[in-house]
Amino acid sequence: MTTMATWALSRLHVLTVALICAAILHIVATLAAPRLATATPFAQLTKLAPLHAFSVLAPVTPKTQPLAYMAPDVRYAMCRYDTGRGPVSVQATLPGRGWTLSLYTPEGDNIYTAVGSDAQPTEVALQLTPTADRFLGLTPEARGLTSEKTATLAIPTGRGLAIVRAPDLGLAYAAQTEAALKRATCTARPF
Amino acid sequence: MFWLNLHKLRRRLLTVSARVLEAVVIVVVVLAGGLGSSWYMVEAGSRLTTARYGPWLTWTSAARPDADPYTRAHFANAGTLPLSTEVERSFIARTDSGGERLHSSCEYVIEGRVPTADWWSIAVFDASGALIPNPAGRHAFTGQTIALSSTGAYTVAVAREARAGNWLPTKGAGRLAVVLAMVDNKSADLPVPTDATALPTIKKLRCR
Repeated sequence: MTTMATWALSRLHVLTVALICAAILHIVATLAAPRLATATPFAQLTKLAPLHAFSVLAPVTPKTQPLAYMAPDVRYAMCRYDTGRGPVSVQATLPGRGWTLSLYTPEGDNIYTAVGSDAQPTEVALQLTPTADRFLGLTPEARGLTSEKTATLAIPTGRGLAIVRAPDLGLAYAAQTEAALKRATCTARPF
Repeated sequence: MFWLNLHKLRRRLLTVSARVLEAVVIVVVVLAGGLGSSWYMVEAGSRLTTARYGPWLTWTSAARPDADPYTRAHFANAGTLPLSTEVERSFIARTDSGGERLHSSCEYVIEGRVPTADWWSIAVFDASGALIPNPAGRHAFTGQTIALSSTGAYTVAVAREARAGNWLPTKGAGRLAVVLAMVDNKSADLPVPTDATALPTIKKLRCR
């Protein structure tokens, strides 16, 4: 035991270096993990979500489930947006409880969510603007025109996904739910 | 002279072997300590990133822009896209309330009270998060589709064969995961339950 302790003490500096290296590796591995993931949710859903247009996904079944643990009792409409060429307008009506409109970055951050309620339909109008400070032209107001939408919320973001979730209430309501999902819009709107 | 050289060579070999062994030990410590601890923190979570209530586990900063690196890595690796914990609280159970792994060879009953959330659902998946194919096409119940008792409580049977009432089929799935999700917009940040009794229990009835 004494020999072991003596050996350990003599190698304390080596042990310290090993622990520091392990800590560095821990940090690097953790930070790199999202970038090394082979099939991120964004990459998976990009195939299903067209650019600047909402697409209503088929009901989630074992054969059509695009993501792990994706709620099967929810219908989805998805739009891929990219504000690189100008602002993107996203509008949706959330008729009741369980309905949500959410925005995700490619890294999976949920940067915005609106939740519907039974009290009254929630109208959501978003103006997604580029994060970089650059001139995008004059706004309709600056050109003396009236903006089509007044109550819009401006959200600075780059690329991402807009997802409308609707509770799947069964076959009897399927057409109604799908029609409401199809009314959501996602449009590139240069100034 | 020959024996002296042989002795020196032997000592030198021993020294080199000790150095090599030391280097191997260090590399193992670095890899196991660095990568292993990272993997554990990302996959299983810790008290810094998760909260556990009986069998239910929730990542406290899921999908938030200010989430910690472990939470970000967890959801990127898991390939899921949850709502932010500002509006949704999602719990996953891989064990029953007794701490044993959920498995499709066993039958379970989930008992709980209706949560106060605006909308909630309870769904069953296999261990990889895939839905379990079944002729009934049944994978989940929500607050709008579940049958409640007169006291406002609910019971869900998780079993291979059909059961009366709320039944979630699991035939042939192997290990299971049950996900309880609650969506609410009443508060800016959904509070986690104060204790395990706020969440449903998962009791094992029998196994084959």
